[in-house]
This record gives sequence, structure tokens and C-alpha cells, in this order.
Amino acid sequence: MDIISQLQEQVNSIAALAFNTFGTLQRDAPPVRLSPNYPEPPPNPTEDPPNLAEQAKVMSAALVKAAKQFDVLVAALPPSEGGEEAQLRRIAELQAENDAVGQELQKQLEAAEKELKQVQELFSQAADNCLNLKKPD
Amino acid sequence: MATATYPPPPPYYRLYKDYLQNPKSAPEPPPPIEGTYICFGGSYTTDDVLPSLEDQGVRQLYPKGPNIDFKKELRSLNRELLLHILELADVLVERPSQYARRVEEVSLIFKNLHHLLNSLRPHQARSTLIHILELQIQRRREALEDIKRRREEAQRLLKESLATLDGQ
Repeated sequence: MDIISQLQEQVNSIAALAFNTFGTLQRDAPPVRLSPNYPEPPPNPTEDPPNLAEQAKVMSAALVKAAKQFDVLVAALPPSEGGEEAQLRRIAELQAENDAVGQELQKQLEAAEKELKQVQELFSQAADNCLNLKKPD
Repeated sequence: MATATYPPPPPYYRLYKDYLQNPKSAPEPPPPIEGTYICFGGSYTTDDVLPSLEDQGVRQLYPKGPNIDFKKELRSLNRELLLHILELADVLVERPSQYARRVEEVSLIFKNLHHLLNSLRPHQARSTLIHILELQIQRRREALEDIKRRREEAQRLLKESLATLDGQ
């Protein structure tokens, strides 16, 4: 895949990791006491706290790794030499060179075809002569 | 315009009855469309240009200007993104009702990132074109050399065969 598509894929995967992280945390977080007026919430954690902390660490590590990967990909971008006009100028000069080489190629091709026809003609004449000389006796 | 489930083909085929005998008796194909056109109820435009962020109503975070240093801007947007994700996590812990603004900022950064990457595409297209032209020039030069060499080879063979025949 080309580098820009890879960068786009990496951005999308960072987004996916981010919302997965927040979604998991939100789903598995144990209830918390908001105000001193209300009693302590019933302590029944569905997910064991050490597991939750472990998951959070793993997910955040993955997020940071994805961000670092993005930086690596950005560094792998080819250096952008010149701007749009420089590129257009280069395209124009390459087109001119292409035309010149194409015309030269065309000339050589025509000359070669002419020579081929000449040789073919001479060969057929020589073959005819051979046939005529070798009369069956 | 036919709108049946299986519409019949358009009736223009009758105009091409004598096309084989006289190619000019049938109407010319329609000229290419310019500007905007409607296709299957949706309107499209022939001028495919990436709409700028302001046109989509999104604030542009990286500086505008003739030549943007894409690598630097991409890297700084990446840092900003991570910072904003952390801010969102903090807000959720302390003031959970104010998440909306942070979420909006994160999505703004994502939109800027994608727009920046999309604006690299024309540059990529031109570089690809340059590369293709260079390859084509190189192939043509090689073909030219090949033809020259073969011609010289053929001349040499003819001269040799002439010498051989004369020697006989």
C-alpha cells in the first residue's frame, strides 16, 4: 500500500483504539461515590480491579504504540522537493524529451523497415534466380 | 427518462440502421459533459477538487500558506491528538458532564489530519506521472539503441555475405 494510504489507515486505527479504550473503561469501571449525602454504593465489582488496571495499561500502551507508528510513517514520507509549479515544469520538460526521443525512435524504425523491405526484395530475387538457374534436366 | 423496474433500451438504435454503409448518416456521439451533471438523482461535478476545510465548516488547525511542511504539521497534529485524548480522559474523571467540548476537539483534530493527508494526494499523483514519464523515456532510449545495434549488425552481415560471394 502506498505511504499516504498507510498513514490514513494508521489515523483510523488510532481513532479506533481511542474509542475502544474509552468504551471499555466506561463499561467496566466500578461505581464511585459522588456525594457524601448518598450512602456508599454496593461494593460488587463485576470485573476484578487488578484486571481492569491491567487492561487500561495494555490499551493505553497500544494507543501510544499506534501514535509512534504514525510518527515513523510520517518520517518515511518522501521529501517534498519543490512545489506544484516545480513539478509541473518537470512534467513539461519530460514530455518534450519524450516527444523528441519518440520521434527519433520513429525515424530509426522507418529506416529499419525500409532496409528490411530491401533485403526481403533482394532475397526473393536471389531465390528466383536460384530457382531459374537450377533447371531440372 | 424511463423509470420502470427494467426499462427498455433507449430508442436511438433505430437511427443507426445504415451505419455500416454510411457512417455519417447516424448522429454524432454526445460531446463530453462539462460542469455539473445529474446522475441517478445525485448531482456530480466534473471538476474534482478537494474542498477546503472552511468550505466544510471545519476550523483549520495547521497554518495556511503556499508551501506547507507536511511532515512537521502531521507530527504536531499527532501530538495535539494525544494531548486531547488525555484531556478527555481527565474530564471524564473530574467533570464528566463537560465531555462534549473535548470530544468535539478530538474530532476536529481527526478531520484536520485527514484533510492534510488528502491534500498530499495531488502531489503524489504528479510525482507518479513524473516517474512514469521517466520510465517511458528510458524504455524508448533502450529500444532506440536496440534498433540501431540490430541495423548495424544487419549491415555487417550483408557486407560479409557480399565479400563471401565475391570471393567465390
